Amino acid sequence: MTKSRDDHDPGRRNFLKGVGIAGAGAAIADHLWVEAEAAEKPPTSETLSGTVKVILDVNGQQRSVQVEPRTTLLNALRNHLEPALTGPKLVCDVGTCGACTVLLDGKPAYSCLVFAVDATNKKITTVEGLGSPDNPNAVQAAFVEHDALMCGFCTPGFVTTISAYLKKNPTPTLAEVREACKGNFCRCGTYPRVFEAALAAAKGSQA
Amino acid sequence: MQQQPQPQPSPSPKPKKKIRVPRVVNGVEQMVEIEVDENAGPGWGANDKHTLLNHKITRVDGPLKVTGVARYTYDQRLPGMLYGCILRCPYGHARVTKIDTEAASRIPGVKAIVQAPLTELRFAGAPVAAVAATTPEIAGDALRAIKVTYEVLPHVVHAPAAIKPDAPKVVAEESNLQEKAKNGDLQKAEAAFANADAIVEAEYISQRLHHACLETHGMVVDYRGGDSATIYASTQGTFTIPGDAAKELGLEQSKVVSSVEHMGGGFGSKFGIGTEGMFACRLSKETKSPVKLMLTRYDEFVMAGNRSGSWQKLKAGAKNDGTIVALTARQYRLGGIGQGSQAGQPYIYRMGDTYREVYALHTNEDSSIAMRAPGHPQASFAVESLVDELAYKIKMDPVEFRKKNLRDEVYHRQLDRGSREIGWSRRNPIAGGNPGPLKRGMGCAVGTWGGGGNNQCKVDVTISRDGSVLVAVGTQDLGTGTRTYTRAIVAEELGLGIKDVKEQIGNSTLGAANPSGGSTTAPSLSPSVKDAAIKARMLVAERVAPLLGNAKPEEIVFAGGNVSAKGQSLSWKQAAAALPAAGITSHGEWRADLQARGVHGVCFAEVEVDVETGHIRPVKMVHIQDGGLPLNRLTMESQINGGMIQSLGMALYEGRVMDAQLGMQLNPGFGDYKLPGSLEMPEMVPIIDDDDKREAVIGIAEGCIIPAVGALVNAVFNATGVRVRELPITPDKILIGLMT
Repeated sequence: MTKSRDDHDPGRRNFLKGVGIAGAGAAIADHLWVEAEAAEKPPTSETLSGTVKVILDVNGQQRSVQVEPRTTLLNALRNHLEPALTGPKLVCDVGTCGACTVLLDGKPAYSCLVFAVDATNKKITTVEGLGSPDNPNAVQAAFVEHDALMCGFCTPGFVTTISAYLKKNPTPTLAEVREACKGNFCRCGTYPRVFEAALAAAKGSQA
Repeated sequence: MQQQPQPQPSPSPKPKKKIRVPRVVNGVEQMVEIEVDENAGPGWGANDKHTLLNHKITRVDGPLKVTGVARYTYDQRLPGMLYGCILRCPYGHARVTKIDTEAASRIPGVKAIVQAPLTELRFAGAPVAAVAATTPEIAGDALRAIKVTYEVLPHVVHAPAAIKPDAPKVVAEESNLQEKAKNGDLQKAEAAFANADAIVEAEYISQRLHHACLETHGMVVDYRGGDSATIYASTQGTFTIPGDAAKELGLEQSKVVSSVEHMGGGFGSKFGIGTEGMFACRLSKETKSPVKLMLTRYDEFVMAGNRSGSWQKLKAGAKNDGTIVALTARQYRLGGIGQGSQAGQPYIYRMGDTYREVYALHTNEDSSIAMRAPGHPQASFAVESLVDELAYKIKMDPVEFRKKNLRDEVYHRQLDRGSREIGWSRRNPIAGGNPGPLKRGMGCAVGTWGGGGNNQCKVDVTISRDGSVLVAVGTQDLGTGTRTYTRAIVAEELGLGIKDVKEQIGNSTLGAANPSGGSTTAPSLSPSVKDAAIKARMLVAERVAPLLGNAKPEEIVFAGGNVSAKGQSLSWKQAAAALPAAGITSHGEWRADLQARGVHGVCFAEVEVDVETGHIRPVKMVHIQDGGLPLNRLTMESQINGGMIQSLGMALYEGRVMDAQLGMQLNPGFGDYKLPGSLEMPEMVPIIDDDDKREAVIGIAEGCIIPAVGALVNAVFNATGVRVRELPITPDKILIGLMT
């Protein structure tokens, strides 16, 4: 389900175009669901049982998890991997905010929209795989330097998106940086400094 | 080396004085009277003489947050932990007659189902039951398998419908409209309109807004039977958690610890354990297992609170010389089933003879709760629109008109500065007067807040013999930079670098701290930190004095990593080596003289409106904010940016949309509830007002969210000639305005 995404844009807007009416009607559907479901037979244990072993290539390591096929990559990383990877955040769970962004073969993807079973043949990089507190990558270091974070909950998503984008376009303009992170939301209001940090990281890497 | 302690005269009681300070309860300020020392000790010194404070200090937790290492409540995963989630009522008003959990409880992996008390449910989204299961996916299955039978009751979700006499009652036997206050003299105000050369009478409506914290509300309750529990909570008040959690768990409060290592945004919405915390505790108690219950994003929209809407009917008159002579106001607070909030009119401005009536108007929506500067942006939006309308009507420059009706000189200075920064002289005084389809315009507005502290914080500073320094207090860092300034205050006092001090916060076993609401954290916490740091310095000074020619402790200088006096100098490590084996610990209490109250801010905005499509492009925003001593210029500027950006959402993009028929919210997600994003960002200029020379810490978070909405709304009018009086200003409203 990630194939149609273009190279740098994890694509909240593109994604929304795809779901169209279904997305817009979700609120009403939820309302009707309660009644419709109540009328049906309760789910049987057959439909619910069954986990599969999934091997994930995460941050250069082969990691094994036992999950239901419906488990998202995000939930597999956070709730099943031992020890967990909780850098990617669960914020909306429906591909609208970008906080769960990871790299699949170097390209940003919303890990809440990818099933873990669909990620088996890909190299997965989370924000933890980009750098560490003692050895941050250029984007992470610039985020700290320029105060491109406040509460920090959106930060892993921005860092991951921008790190991938700078690989593709090492000398972006401000307009290109804005475009690159249009699929990531921040609530505290860090955008201006996210842009500054991204441009500084790009400049620093050129030097 | 050991000196005999001098015989101490019995201390005469220190002179005391009584002051009034703000205390925050559920995010709302209340004023209380306390007694403080008259002469408390050394102050901060001049604002431009600091070595760390009032500089740009990068966040000490930044490296953890940018690498995904910082562990939030949502990231906790404990052995045997279950996942909780909540079943919500789909009707605007209903009564539960039956809940059948039989099928749900048979699903493998479902461990517990608890029901809410069978009371009347007054909004769509009200919690009905909660489930704990081994995975969140299975918990979701269980929710869908619970059969609830409802008796559906009539609902009303829109204010104009709710005010009608025959509207469905939100609370049976009670009017939806509740009078809250009447202030001023109506007859006098009405008579004063006779002196006005121009009168504006208009209605202003502001929408219900969502906090939209990226980390949803919730907690992890670590209870496995026994007599104690640990609660990991996403909260603005570490100490608001243990009491309520203990009650739910049936434990002694002293046996319940709360932990708030990092938290993903609150904006006024996270105090106490909340409904979700109540369910988490009950599920954990029933299963004797740790339970994580974080709201889904949908839950967060429909049941986690929101900013009160407002409906304000205002009438004001001004003379041609620019003096406002009268105001009458009818203010409705739109708080759903709650009371709502709205600052009284006239907000900030002097308006001669005034009269106001304030009402709460109830609808079947979840209760509004505190949101950054509760009640102020609503009042500011309306009064700043009104003031602007009057200025245009008497053809006076809006900046000059404001100065004429603002007593406080600080605003005059800030308005002048803002005019220069935005380039006010480029502004076309004729609204909509610029040629072409892309029309630019500018607007401005002012804001105020208290931002004083109170005496709730208890801080310990421990210096070990190896020179390591720890400052500990149970406070929480919401992303405002609390950790960083806590560390910086101690480091500066001891003449050390920021990396030489470590902080420990976010735990109820540490010293008490106030909840973070109403910009009270910095002015409550930093005086206690400073007090502890001064006392720690004196304890070290007393110990090293014999090594420095028996200098008096207060003469010993702590600077640049050295401790010096009388021409002799010790490195910090050498000085620390003179401490007792256990090191020293000092205890800091709040000092009123190290903080102050009262901030001013002004915002200027420039927008570009495409009059063919109604699309508004924010071009530039400037916000000037005073706040006494800036603890950290880097994080203060970020907060100012944040205030502007959240206001941008209120002015142009955000708003809850309710369906009258279904009684439910139509846009409970980021796909349909539009937050400001990267493409909407204007050039932002956050300015710290260094002309404020107060040597005191004042909270600024609320202050910088207040004026920007008014500035943007007025800029749109200046650009287009269209006065939009209902937020948000979406393109359709511009186009309708241009056609009429």
